[in-house]
Amino acid sequence: MLSINNLRASVEDKEILKGLTLDVPAGEVHAIMGPNGAGKSTLSYVLSGRGGYEVTDGSATLNGEDLLALEPDERAAKGVFLSFQYPLEIPGVPALTFLRTALNAQRKARGEDEIAAPAFLKLVREKAAELKIDFDMLKRSLNVGFSGGEKKRMEILQMAILQPKLLILDETDSGLDIDALRIVSEGVNAMRAPDRAMLVITHYQRLLDHIKPDRVHVLSAGRIVASGGPELALQLEAEGYDKYASAA
Amino acid sequence: MVAVKQTVEHVESLEAYKHGFITDIDQEFAPKGLNADIVRFISAKKDEPEWMLQWRLEAFERWLAMEEPTWAKVNFPRIDYQDAYYYAAPKAKDGPMSLDEVDPELLATYAKLGIPLKEQEVLAGVQGAPKYAVDAVFDSVSVVTTFKKELAAVGVIFCSMSEAIREHPELVKKYLGSVVPTSDNYFACLNSAVFSDGSFVYVPPGVRCPMELSTYFRINAAESGQFERTLIIVDKGAYVSYLEGCTAPMRDENQLHAAVVELVALEDAEIKYSTVQNWYPGDPKTGKGGIYNFVTKRADCRGDRSKVSWTQVETGSAVTWKYPSCVLRGNDSSGEFYSIAVTNGFQQADTGTKMIHLGANTKSRIISKGISAGKSSNTYRGLVSAHPKAKGARNFTQCDSLLIGKDCAAHTVPYVEARNGQSVFEHEATTTRLSDDQLFYVMQRGLNQEEAVALLVNGFVKDVLQQLPMEFAVEAQKLVAISLEGSVG
Amino acid sequence: MSVSQAIAAGDVALLPSRRDEDWRWTDLRGLIRAMPPVSPASERRFEAGAFGDGDVLMVNGVVRGDVEALIVPAGERRTVRLRVIADTSHTAHGADLSVSVGEAGELTLLESYEGLGEGYLTETRLNLSVDAGGRLERIVLAADAADAVAVSTATVVLAKGARFEQTTLTTGARRQRLETRIAHPGEGATVRMDAGYLLDGQRHADLTTAVAHEGVGGETSQLTKGIVRDQARGVFQGRIVVEKGADKTDARMGHHALILSEKAEIDAKPELLIYADDVSCAHGNTIGALDEDALFYARQRGIPDAQARAMLAEAFVGEVVDRIANDEARDVARQWVATHLGAV
Repeated sequence: MLSINNLRASVEDKEILKGLTLDVPAGEVHAIMGPNGAGKSTLSYVLSGRGGYEVTDGSATLNGEDLLALEPDERAAKGVFLSFQYPLEIPGVPALTFLRTALNAQRKARGEDEIAAPAFLKLVREKAAELKIDFDMLKRSLNVGFSGGEKKRMEILQMAILQPKLLILDETDSGLDIDALRIVSEGVNAMRAPDRAMLVITHYQRLLDHIKPDRVHVLSAGRIVASGGPELALQLEAEGYDKYASAA
Repeated sequence: MVAVKQTVEHVESLEAYKHGFITDIDQEFAPKGLNADIVRFISAKKDEPEWMLQWRLEAFERWLAMEEPTWAKVNFPRIDYQDAYYYAAPKAKDGPMSLDEVDPELLATYAKLGIPLKEQEVLAGVQGAPKYAVDAVFDSVSVVTTFKKELAAVGVIFCSMSEAIREHPELVKKYLGSVVPTSDNYFACLNSAVFSDGSFVYVPPGVRCPMELSTYFRINAAESGQFERTLIIVDKGAYVSYLEGCTAPMRDENQLHAAVVELVALEDAEIKYSTVQNWYPGDPKTGKGGIYNFVTKRADCRGDRSKVSWTQVETGSAVTWKYPSCVLRGNDSSGEFYSIAVTNGFQQADTGTKMIHLGANTKSRIISKGISAGKSSNTYRGLVSAHPKAKGARNFTQCDSLLIGKDCAAHTVPYVEARNGQSVFEHEATTTRLSDDQLFYVMQRGLNQEEAVALLVNGFVKDVLQQLPMEFAVEAQKLVAISLEGSVG
Repeated sequence: MSVSQAIAAGDVALLPSRRDEDWRWTDLRGLIRAMPPVSPASERRFEAGAFGDGDVLMVNGVVRGDVEALIVPAGERRTVRLRVIADTSHTAHGADLSVSVGEAGELTLLESYEGLGEGYLTETRLNLSVDAGGRLERIVLAADAADAVAVSTATVVLAKGARFEQTTLTTGARRQRLETRIAHPGEGATVRMDAGYLLDGQRHADLTTAVAHEGVGGETSQLTKGIVRDQARGVFQGRIVVEKGADKTDARMGHHALILSEKAEIDAKPELLIYADDVSCAHGNTIGALDEDALFYARQRGIPDAQARAMLAEAFVGEVVDRIANDEARDVARQWVATHLGAV
């Protein structure tokens, strides 16, 4: 589903991704692990199209379609969803308004009809209840004054409403206590589906106790330097990243 | 909290203005008053070349046509420019002197002020203590400059302005007035005509000046003005840290100090300029006397990636009118302004900075802490502007004012001019009183009132004190505490 | 020096110029070379304005309707729609109006400035007063002609325990100045004074305010937000003065602006002049572009660039609209902002 081939990308003329190759088939969850500065966040931003990241070589396709040529919102409409490590606060825009605007924009881009208000509210109420989000909170400005855990739950709620094809979770466990981690993980696990791929980017193995990956990749100095099954994550937890530092 | 404890101890042990003594020394003066002949007299005294005299005379002509500005939030009787001496100097032989030739009375004066002029004394200090080269300016002349040889060995020129005009005319011609033009403002123009002495620094490309440079300005003579002129040029990739200190005797009359300081930073150069200004503030009970401190200080960040940082601790002077500024001309250049301004008694201060963003991706940062006590008035006035070409310019400004007592005033007057769509400016300001609750809390823990005030004020100004070289930070901290003596009660 | 004086005397030398510190960014003397002739009377009927038909109209400086409506007796509550209309081109006129709210009275003043002609020069001067315990909420929607020079000056005098709330929204003019000066007695009186400006083309708007706290315990809360694009220029001059003895004053002033194009400009001067010690005063000023991180976040969720920008811009100014107390006026204001943001 997601196919990345020899991807090279720079930030302010400094090369961060140095020929990264990765395939994530539909229905699978792949974890990307690696030390700080390996390029984990850069990968998530390059795939989602944030400005300031220059792709110098290689390709990234979703179901055969070139992602890199598209605007961020076009990628979103194709089904790319990035769960931010630090979700943005947007003062003055109620979460509910934001969600409906996003959903309708995506539907419009795909040539679908806008969702009617009652159907939308029903959908949001349902999903919010599953994630234990107080519906009244959705009337407040998006993420403004929310706790770390609330912000992450809001990300999962958006995910559940927008139903993306490719989920990229960037350090989703950062800033979460154990209860919040459980709720968020359950939310993510509920999203597992045969036609959906997930890329779980994390520094620690902890998150992978809750979201079980099919494959684990080690990202070091801009390249995938090792791949394996879930046991690789445990091995990394025990041994650290040191031995991969030299490999890169 | 050792520093705080020290401050507290010093507050107890020191009298209000400890630098107010007069040095009894034989001095020579220019005739009282101001005219073209006085300008010629000063130039001749300094044995200046003809071009310098012409420069001065031209400035004098322009000054005659100018009017004294009135926009600052300060009030003082009109200055009678004819009722002052524009040149006063200790009697001595002409030309540069070695330390042995300096009048022992002068050396004693500086020793009393805590400024060591003998190099061996500096060396004999605590092991590991950094060295400071000092240029000592007494009224209108520089009496001695230390460590010149050691500095010359790495190519750094550090001397009095008079000497620089004689010995390095090519540098002076090229840079003097290039940052602050003669007719920039009334006081700068006056200074250009009658400037006496100040320091000259040139740091050659790639050199990191091996020691702190400092100038100590002392006004001693009665009815005189001091018109220092300082010029610092830091060449490509070079660095210097410079500090100036200022004191004057306690006199009933007001004395004028109208200085011009020009800084030039070329590509990748960095200048740190610190001031501890402790001119006589006037009588705290009556407001009589004190220095009028009308100063033009400006840095030209001419080269790409150059950096200038102004740090000032302003505790003295009856009236202060001063805006150390940065013209951020080079791309990616940056300017900083850190200020503590304390006013007590009848002092008036109108001070701040200008950050003129001309180049792309220029950055500036302003942290100003004003403390008003007694019947004083303390104004922050600042300008931040970004011109159309200054894409990516960024400024952050924080201005905090603290009021102690019912009769003082604190004003914040920032001007912001954004002329392009790719700049980010942030400005925050607060005005509060010294909190009774905090004061009570600290006193409940055993500090007396003045100690408690000193402690809280030190917390208020901490961000700026941290920018000073360490030795001076301690000195400045004491000064702030002393300046606020008797402010609560 | 004022526009009214210049109009009355037909003398351009009486126009404010940048040499006047308070007019440094709104130079009229430099702009207007010759005084235009006096505006003629207009007999026209007008279509509904932003707040519908007016109760009191001021057309080319001449009052239509019952001007007594603006004098609210003690204890009475009322809403008055005041339309200030310039139905003229290349002429000049001034107008004076008094608005007062008696003890414990309440007035919602829905005020609109409507420029139907071109290139006119005008100054509207309002004297507003609120007696003890009274309340005045003033909502101003200013839509002047792009090439007009328009000044509105409001002088507000409050009694103890009075509440004054103001929200000014404007699209500017060739030169436009909306000025409010408030004498704040403290003693339980409160002031909320907000503004929003949405400028494009070569429009200019100058929001100038001065609040003088003269008594103990006054509160002022001020929020101004602006968006400029093209070659437009926004000016904010806010002054809060706390006079000697006006202890326990609590004053907050915020000005935040977005510059959306290369050549647009913002000038700001948020001043605090404090002569009392037991006060809590603060101001904040930010000027910048739209938050790129927020923009990317919205786009990552699938919202196209232009739509995301519009959403963020509307939310930015929306904060000012949200503070309007009157429900109806708030809805009108919100719609007004959305319509005019379409242009921005």
